[in-house]
Amino acid sequence: MKNEPLTAVLQERPANRIIANCLVAVASVVLCVLISPTRLPGMELAGIGPNWLLIWVVAWSVKRTVVQGALAGITLGLIQDGMTAHAPTHVLSLMLVGILTARLRKERYLKEDFISIALIVFAMAVVAETVTAIQYSFQGDRSLVEIWTYHQLIALSSAVLSSLWAPIVYYPLNRWWQYMYTLEQQS
Amino acid sequence: MFTLRRWWDRYRLPTVLTGLSLGVALFLRQSEGAILYETYQLLARPFQPNVERRAVLENAQILELQQRLTELESQNQQLRSLLGYVGETKKTGITAPVVGRSADHWWQHVLLGRGSQDGIRKGSIVMAPGGVVGRVTSVTPNTSRVLLLSDPSSRAGVTVSRSRFMGYIRGQSSNQAVMEFFDKVPDVRQGDVITTSSLSQLFPAGLPIGRVKSVNLSKSPAPEAIIELTAPVSFLEWAIVYPHRQAQAGKALN
Repeated sequence: MKNEPLTAVLQERPANRIIANCLVAVASVVLCVLISPTRLPGMELAGIGPNWLLIWVVAWSVKRTVVQGALAGITLGLIQDGMTAHAPTHVLSLMLVGILTARLRKERYLKEDFISIALIVFAMAVVAETVTAIQYSFQGDRSLVEIWTYHQLIALSSAVLSSLWAPIVYYPLNRWWQYMYTLEQQS
Repeated sequence: MFTLRRWWDRYRLPTVLTGLSLGVALFLRQSEGAILYETYQLLARPFQPNVERRAVLENAQILELQQRLTELESQNQQLRSLLGYVGETKKTGITAPVVGRSADHWWQHVLLGRGSQDGIRKGSIVMAPGGVVGRVTSVTPNTSRVLLLSDPSSRAGVTVSRSRFMGYIRGQSSNQAVMEFFDKVPDVRQGDVITTSSLSQLFPAGLPIGRVKSVNLSKSPAPEAIIELTAPVSFLEWAIVYPHRQAQAGKALN
């Protein structure tokens, strides 16, 4: 990013940086939330679209601590609960995704690029849908066979689509956070 | 005290921001995402199908059939009034475009672009060309969320139109639903029409739902039939919402 006036404004005062950071985070979350109910052509597979909130949680947690990942998961989980239904809750699945993503030893196993992000999102989508399926199994108002055959369909399509669309969320956010990091180092 | 003070000085900002974001998230959860859906509706408005034009474009044969049906219905009404049967009068529906689907994959929801400002209430019945598709579970001023009949948590009392055997249906997350009968040996065949039953609290009686695709009478504990929903729930573009008060079922029985 070579935007001189922006850099100057952001470098001047740390408060500006914090405000800009918050704005970017909130705007990206709102964008992910608003795109969740849509099923754009080319973005769905058997009526199932990408899990945008999960992609955001993964993008956030990749370079952050476990606590930060978990908090992001809880926050977005609560929002998704509000948009669908309170039971089974999405807080558990997204929190687990945040924790696991933050715990991954990326520097050891995976190099920092799109492919590794897509892989993490793929695995995390499967984990998240499995957590939801387990909650349904405990709830007991559907038969286990029904839940787990549906789980196969959802987990696979959601994992494939989410991992394909993950870079769209990850790339700009990562660029922004890197830019912020360099500014922090300079000042 | 001092350590607490130092901790606060150091982590003040993250703590406040975390508290703020959790608070907002909780608020969104308790308000069922009303603000989000209102914003979504605002942004999606230019892309919504034009309901008025669509209604005009409906082909003439359907109109003719509808007119015949209206004629028959009014005759039916007259005969009923001659018999002294007091039924509910027909209500006019609210046409609404479908602007979105469920925000996750486990729920079979659709989002309609009309809300409480247009007279939609919680519990209203949602019909589409072909029959019932579901009922409204939450409303905001300009949107309403519909739980589809195809959702596994959605149950409805139904009856076989020909033989009046009753049961209930359970969604299967697709265009099919499973009907469980109350009787051990129901009279049901492939192709029979299934409608909502008069025992249903959530839906008014006599609305078309689907056709029997296959029957499994040896199923335990109750015989089952696979029902194919006549309304195309997987590619709905618009729907008609009818107000329905659940208390009416109890009143009619008394």
